[in-house]
Amino acid sequence: MKANAFEAALRAEGIDCTVEERDALAVVVPGGDGMPRAGGAVLDAAQRALVLRLGREHGFTHVAVELPPPAARV
Amino acid sequence: MNDAIDLPAAARDKEARLVDWLRARGSVLVGFSGGVDSAYLACVAVEVLGAPRVLAVIGRSPSYPAEQWERALEIARRFAVPVLEVDTHEMDDPRYAANPTTRCYYCKGELWSLLSPLARERGLAAVVDGTNADDLADWRPGAQAAREHGVASPLADVGMTKAEIRALSRARGLPTWDQPSSPCLSSRIPYGTAVTPERLRRIERAERALRELGIAGDLRVRDHGDLARIELSGEALEHWLAPVRAARLAGAVREAGFDRVALDLRGFRSGSLNVLGGVTAA
Repeated sequence: MKANAFEAALRAEGIDCTVEERDALAVVVPGGDGMPRAGGAVLDAAQRALVLRLGREHGFTHVAVELPPPAARV
Repeated sequence: MNDAIDLPAAARDKEARLVDWLRARGSVLVGFSGGVDSAYLACVAVEVLGAPRVLAVIGRSPSYPAEQWERALEIARRFAVPVLEVDTHEMDDPRYAANPTTRCYYCKGELWSLLSPLARERGLAAVVDGTNADDLADWRPGAQAAREHGVASPLADVGMTKAEIRALSRARGLPTWDQPSSPCLSSRIPYGTAVTPERLRRIERAERALRELGIAGDLRVRDHGDLARIELSGEALEHWLAPVRAARLAGAVREAGFDRVALDLRGFRSGSLNVLGGVTAA
């Protein structure tokens, strides 16, 4: 399953998450501690570029990050 | 026309050719959504031919956003464009509701099957749509339906691009000049997932909620069943990825009826679901 490989690649980059596969869409679900944040953003520009590149390399045309419910963020 | 705005010569030339095109027909029925292209075309047609020789027809259905309908009527009022509204029933067609990659063909087929006879009844010489030159390179199964019903696309015929239409609209004082493109709400639903009035209303509520948060520019809420995938333009994406803002974004979309919310990391892409559906290349 390409989601498993993509998820492993993200984890290898230090991004704690699971990946849900919906055809060519990957939904990146942040792990328990949420996504790594830089510059105050859920993901900074460099991280986004990395996630998108890895997503493409694993066969996904679309990558989206799930926004946890407000309670999960505190 | 506001001459204070510096228009590229190519755009002026194309507008002159459009004027010639319209004069040669003498009267037109315009498929009018109130979007950038059809608003420009209708306004030029009224200026060139006079209001009695123009009829702008709005096709209303659950896939047509109420906000856009209000904008269309406002433009028509401001620019003295004669308008007629007709109800279209593409949702009743199971071939449309099943949402195949050719969905737009069935929708436009329904629209033009109503408008072409209407033009004949009213003695209008041509039925025209707002297809522009850029659209010709895109996946547009609706264009085939237009051809089958003899609908002409004068903006495309004179080679007018979206950027030129925006510049010419601005020069005319049309408020649509910087309006984001707004295809029908069904375009937010992945191919193969049924189009239902409930789904369309949920998408409309979610996009309206995001507009109310202050998001301008290109924006789409793509419906993946339990999950809404939000596409924002680059600058807005950057802004709304801040955790507190992202939580507000998610809250607004959940309120609209989605269980889960995700933000697309690449941001807004016109025809995004064509790529996802494998219809066009990534």
